[in-house]
Amino acid sequence: MQSHSVYKVPQGKLLKINLEYDETTHRILHIRITGDFFAYPEEAMEHLEEQLKDTPLDRKKLLLQISSLISQYHIEFIGLNAEALTQGILLCVL
Amino acid sequence: MSEEWRLLQTGYAKAFTNMAVDKAILVSHSKGLVPPTVRFYGWVPPAISIGYFQSLVEEVDLKACQRYGVDCVRRITGGGAVFHDKELTYSLVIAESHPSIPKNILQSYGRICGAVMKGLEQLGINSEYAPINDIVTNCRKISGNAQTRKHQTVLQHGTVLMDVDVDTMFSLLKVPNEKIKDKLIADVKQRVTSIHHCLGKHIRFTQVADAMRRGFEEEFQIHLVEGGLTIEEQTFAEQFEKETFLTEKWNRKR
Repeated sequence: MQSHSVYKVPQGKLLKINLEYDETTHRILHIRITGDFFAYPEEAMEHLEEQLKDTPLDRKKLLLQISSLISQYHIEFIGLNAEALTQGILLCVL
Repeated sequence: MSEEWRLLQTGYAKAFTNMAVDKAILVSHSKGLVPPTVRFYGWVPPAISIGYFQSLVEEVDLKACQRYGVDCVRRITGGGAVFHDKELTYSLVIAESHPSIPKNILQSYGRICGAVMKGLEQLGINSEYAPINDIVTNCRKISGNAQTRKHQTVLQHGTVLMDVDVDTMFSLLKVPNEKIKDKLIADVKQRVTSIHHCLGKHIRFTQVADAMRRGFEEEFQIHLVEGGLTIEEQTFAEQFEKETFLTEKWNRKR
């Protein structure tokens, strides 16, 4: 199942998510995160997208995984944060 | 005696060259080959640059760009899509460890924007920094800025709007909802301004560059010495242009 969301991060930038997920297992198959936010280092975003594959579309688990990847890859967001990213992804399946 | 930084006035160039030159300076400075560098440049033909994380096909009407002869390029910096036409673009390349550059990224945006604000002041325009990455005058945007940090080096580039054509801009950019396009255009016209609009007269590129030069010198208490790209920077720039900024792989990567 493919889905798309557009989410204006409170006090932040515009986040757009293209999501492909398994309707049976409710897990991420493929994700592309786009928007006018800033993330340092930029290239880490590709790792984050890759590592989000197979993550369950459950708020708590998603937030935990995103937060752990942010610290693993030392990502610093401006205009975006882990909660907003979680929200943007979940908007695709609501 | 104040510190000397290099000033590059590279004039007008294609979008792909402009982005390649900024990256070449970043790489060169990170290798310790060139001093901190301020660069002023323009775009011919007019171009759209998109932020590193944006999708080219979702943000830009590529057919319209082709009709208007507008080039499109992906930046190495984040942020939003920009239509570069009548503007001065600056870039600053400097070590992250330089005492004038706050470690905190947002604070460093503010500091570097301070140079642009002092430059605008030279032209008689009072402005303020509007986080995250804008400079506004009378609540209207006159400058947008974007920063990346690579190899312990900061690259911040940004626009100083000399004139603005919101209608053309919207014929080149895609809007999320066509039904509210007219309202969106009206809103943006209210929220964006330019040197021409503020002063009621046209100012030449070179006058804006002179003002910005003084702005950078004042803000950072430095002396800008005019120079050129080194041979190595030119080689890097040619390589980056060919291998990255001109390629579909890069520009369509998202």
